[in-house]
Amino acid sequence: MDDRQGEIAIGCESDVIVVRQTVREIAKTLEMGLTDTTRLVTAASELTRNVFLYAGSGIMRWQIIDSNSCRGIELVFIDQGPGIADIGQAMQEGYTTSKGLGMGLPGSRRLVDEMDIVSKVGAGTTITVKKWIRRS
Amino acid sequence: MEYDNLSVVKVRDILIVTMPPDPDDVAMAFLQEKVLMAMEQYRAKGVVLDISAVETLDSYFARVLSETVQMVILMGGKTVIAGMRPSVAITTTQLGLSLGDAETALNVDRALDMVSESLQRR
Repeated sequence: MDDRQGEIAIGCESDVIVVRQTVREIAKTLEMGLTDTTRLVTAASELTRNVFLYAGSGIMRWQIIDSNSCRGIELVFIDQGPGIADIGQAMQEGYTTSKGLGMGLPGSRRLVDEMDIVSKVGAGTTITVKKWIRRS
Repeated sequence: MEYDNLSVVKVRDILIVTMPPDPDDVAMAFLQEKVLMAMEQYRAKGVVLDISAVETLDSYFARVLSETVQMVILMGGKTVIAGMRPSVAITTTQLGLSLGDAETALNVDRALDMVSESLQRR
């Protein structure tokens, strides 16, 4: 098994747990700090819920990334759901279309170092987040 | 029961409910039912929700917790949420979550004091 990347299917609520446990394990092997691990796991939990809530199903791909001697974790959430019509609006504080479940994208954005959203209405959404290991 | 990994202990008039580290959504939904049934069964007046083992508190978890506090109020009880870890407090706040009007305590010890005091004042 490749231990630098993997993929998890998101199809039901219990997959939220699988995603959380997987991300926590990866963070542990990279010796990510406790608070950063909690941030990344929580963001992953929210984004997995988004996939489940808006698209019904999708996948999360993970990989360990290196850049300029920095090491990090990249998580990619991919769905073929309705897509986001206005990403700017979706990134606004307090904006939600799901009756308050899910803190939306801005909350998750604050928990990671980088977030990239690609979406097409009727085709789906791909959200990529990165968190780098901080060396103290 | 399958999701019965929640410990509920009664001390005097107070239920101490210990949350597992990473409960799934079904376990969380079961939490509410179990706490409220225990309130009725033991005629409890207060609830301490011990979340000191909890490693991840996302929006769903937060909503279930604040809902539980409201439900306990409807049954005439008072809830204190105890023992949130520093990393969870940081993450929860940055994510933008709040636990509504729920009262919180550093640990179960202090939560018990808070519930007892408020019961005495009644």
